[in-house]
Amino acid sequence: MPKNLRFAVGAGLIVAAIGYLIVTAVRDTAEYYLTVNEVKVRQGELGGQMLRVAGRVAPGSIGWNPVTLTLSFGLAQPPPPDEPGVKAVSAAMTGPTVFHVICRGEPKPDMFAANRDVIVEGALSPDGTIEARQVLTSCPSKYVPKQPGQPPSQQAQAQ
Amino acid sequence: MSLIGQLALALALVLAAYSIIANVVGARASIPSLTSSARHALWAMCAMVTVAVGALLTSLLHSDFSLEYVASYTSYSLPTIYKITALWGGQQGSLLFWTWLLTIFTSIVAFQNRRRNLEIAPYALAVLAGLAIFFLGMLNFVTRPFDLLAVIPNDGQDLNPLLQNYWMAIHPPSLYTGYVSASVPFAFGAAALMAGRLDDSWIRSTRRWAIFSWFFLTLGNMFGARWAYEVLGWGGYWAWDPVENAAFMPWLVMTAYLHSVMIQERKDMLKVWNLVLIGMAFGLTLFGTFITRSGVISSVHSFTQSGLGPYFLTFLITVTVLYTGLLLSRVKQLRTPAEFESYLSREAAFLFNNLVLVGIAFAVFWGTLFPVLSEAVRGVKITVGPPFFDKVNAPLALALIFLMGVGPLIAWRRSSFDSLAKTFAAPALFGITTGGCAFIAGLREWYVLTALSLAAFVIGTIVVEFRRGVSARRHMVAESVPAAMVNLIAKNNRRYGGYVIHLGVVLAFTGIVASAFFKTEVKKSVKQGDTFQVGAYDLEYLGLETSETPHVETVRARVEVRLNGKPIAMMEPAKLFYKRLQQPATAVAIRSTPAADLYVVLAGIDDQSGLATFQVFLTPLVFWLWAGGLIMALGTVIVMWPNVRERAVIAAAVRAPAPFEDDVQAVPGGD
Repeated sequence: MPKNLRFAVGAGLIVAAIGYLIVTAVRDTAEYYLTVNEVKVRQGELGGQMLRVAGRVAPGSIGWNPVTLTLSFGLAQPPPPDEPGVKAVSAAMTGPTVFHVICRGEPKPDMFAANRDVIVEGALSPDGTIEARQVLTSCPSKYVPKQPGQPPSQQAQAQ
Repeated sequence: MSLIGQLALALALVLAAYSIIANVVGARASIPSLTSSARHALWAMCAMVTVAVGALLTSLLHSDFSLEYVASYTSYSLPTIYKITALWGGQQGSLLFWTWLLTIFTSIVAFQNRRRNLEIAPYALAVLAGLAIFFLGMLNFVTRPFDLLAVIPNDGQDLNPLLQNYWMAIHPPSLYTGYVSASVPFAFGAAALMAGRLDDSWIRSTRRWAIFSWFFLTLGNMFGARWAYEVLGWGGYWAWDPVENAAFMPWLVMTAYLHSVMIQERKDMLKVWNLVLIGMAFGLTLFGTFITRSGVISSVHSFTQSGLGPYFLTFLITVTVLYTGLLLSRVKQLRTPAEFESYLSREAAFLFNNLVLVGIAFAVFWGTLFPVLSEAVRGVKITVGPPFFDKVNAPLALALIFLMGVGPLIAWRRSSFDSLAKTFAAPALFGITTGGCAFIAGLREWYVLTALSLAAFVIGTIVVEFRRGVSARRHMVAESVPAAMVNLIAKNNRRYGGYVIHLGVVLAFTGIVASAFFKTEVKKSVKQGDTFQVGAYDLEYLGLETSETPHVETVRARVEVRLNGKPIAMMEPAKLFYKRLQQPATAVAIRSTPAADLYVVLAGIDDQSGLATFQVFLTPLVFWLWAGGLIMALGTVIVMWPNVRERAVIAAAVRAPAPFEDDVQAVPGGD
C-alpha cells in the first residue's frame, strides 16, 4: 500500500517536527527546581543560572519597602513533611536563613508571611543572595486538610 | 445523616458489582431478563448515590460539624451558596460528586439503550459499572465523606477564600461533567471491542455524549481561566500550571476524536486510531485527577499528598493495560482496505489536524511531567515553565488554525489545484489583506501578523460557506436572507454548528495572541489624591473605604479613571480579609471593553506611610477570548440540537448490523 506509506512519511515528518519543537523548547527554558539545601550543596556550579528554589520564609527576616516595591527576606529549608496528608506548619521547625532573597519591582503576594512555603524564581549571586524575578507563595489549596488555628479536635485527629 | 450516607454508599457498591456480573453473563448467554435486572440494579445504584449526596448536602447546609468533611470545608458564617459548592470543594465531596455524575450518566445510558444496541450496551454498562466500583470503593474504604469527628468543634474551618467565588462555584461541576461523560463513549468503544461489533455503531450511538463531554470540557476550561483572571490578580488567565494542563489535555484529545470519527463515519478509515483516541481522552481524565490529588507534581496550587495517588495510578494502569490488550486482540479485524489518496484531501487535512492536536497534548503532557521524568532519569528536578509551553504551542496553534480553514472546505478523496484556487482564493486574499493592513498600521511582530492573517482566512472560509449555503437555499425557495440563514443552520446543524464553533475558536485565539503580546503593566505606590498614567488612561487614587460582615472584612480603594481628562469609570479594587481563616485575599476591579480590559489590583496598603500599591494591567482584545468561548458554546448547542433525520438514521443503523450508507447523514462539511 504505497499511498498509505506516503502518508506515513508525511505523518512521520509532522511528528518529528513536533518532537524537535519540544526538545529545543526544553533546552531553552529548563530551570533547576531545587530545595534550599540542594542549592547550598551545589552553590558553586549554580551561580548565575535561573533557578526555582523551594523554601520557607524565615521569621523575623522580612523587609518590605512599599515605595520602591522591594521585598527582602531570608529563605530557610522547610522541615520534612511528617506523613502524607499532614503538613506540619509550626514556627519552631523553620530552620535558620540559608539564602537572602531580594525581589524588586513586584508587589508583595497576599499570602506572603513568615513561615510560609514559597518558591523563589531567580538567579543566585556569589554572595548567597538570590535576585528574584518572582516569589510565589504556595497557596494552601482546598485539599490541604490540616492547618494551624483549627479546632483542637482536628489537630488531635491529625496527630 | 452520616449513617444514612454510609449505608447508601455501601449498597451502591454492592449493586454496581451485581450489575457487572448480570450484564456480562446476561449478554454472553443472551438472557434478556438478566440484562434487564442489571439495568434496574444500575438505576438503584444511582438512587443510592443520590441519597448519599443528599445526606452530605443536608449536613453541609445545617453546618453539622460532627462530620469531619463539613467541619473542614465550611463555617457557620459561610454564605449558603458556598455551603452548597463545598459539596465539591474538598476531596471526599468531589469524589462523591464525580461518582454521582457517573451513576446518573450510567442510568441515562441504560435507559437510552434499553431496546437498542442490545449487542454492545450490556458490555458498555458493565464497563461503566466497573468505573463506578472503583470510585465507590474509594468512597467506602479510602476517603470517606461521612467520617465523624471525635470532638465536635464549635465552628468549621471555612472554605478557602479563593474558592469563595462565583466562577469557582460553576467551574468544577462543568469540568467534572466533561470528564465523567467522556467515560460513556469510552465504555462503548471498549464494549465494541469486547463484543466484536467493530463497525461504527459505537461511535454513532455515543456521538452526542462525546459532544456533550466536549461542551462541558470547553466550558470547564473557560470558567477556570475566567476564575484565574478574576481572582488570582496577576492579570492573566492561564499559567500552564499542572492543574490547568490536566483539564486542557482531555479537551485537546476529545477535539481530535470528534474530528477523526467523521473520517471513520464517512470513509471507514482510522478505526484503530479512533479507539486509541477515546482511550487516551478517558485515560487523561483519570490522569488529571491523579496528578491533582497525588502531589507527584508540585503545582502552585500545591494539592498536598492525600494518599489517593497510588490508588488512582493503579487504576489508571489497570484500565490502560486492559484496554490496550483488548484493542490489540482485535487489531486484525479492524484493518480496512480504504486508504488515503492525496495530501490535498479532506481526509489528509483531518489527519494532520489530529496529529497537531495530539502533538499539543503530548507537549503539554511532557512539560507537565518533566520535573518527575528528569528526577527519575537524571536525579535532578528540572522544571519547564510557561515559556516552554508558549514556545512549543505557538507554532502548533498556527498550524491548527490554518487546517481549521482548509479542512471543512477541501474536497474528499482528492482535490485539483483548480478547485483549490476557486474555493480558497477569496478567503486567502482576505487573510493576506488583513495581515497587510496590520503591517501598514505599524504591527511588526511576525507571529501576530501571521496569526491575524490566518484568523482572517478562517473567518473568510466560514463566510464563504454561509454565503454559498444561503444563496443555494434562496435559489430553491423564496426566502429572505435571515430566514434562509436560520433554515440553513437548522437543516444542517452539525455542519453549520461546527462553523460557529470554529468562529468562536478563531476569536478566542485572536484574544489570546493579542493579550499575550500587547499587555502593558504598571506598578505604582501612590498617596491619596495622586494620579498616575496607564496607557491613555489617568488613574486617580481617591481614598479607602472599609466595610465589614461577620464573614469578611473589606478594604476598598476608590480609583477614578479618566480618558482625555473626562471621567469614564470609578473602579474599586479591594483587599479582603477572611476572619475565620485569618487569610487575606484580593478582589480585582476590571473594566472590560471589546478593545481592551483595564485591570486594577490593590496590591497592598502600607499603614505607616499611607501608600497604596496598585498593579494595573491594560490588556487588549482579551474580551474576545471570553466572547469566543461563548460562541463556541453556542455552536456546540447547535450541533447537539436534536435532528429528526439523524435520529431515524441512527435507529436504522443500530437495528441492522448491515453496512450503512453514509451520505444520508452529512458530516460537517459534507458537500
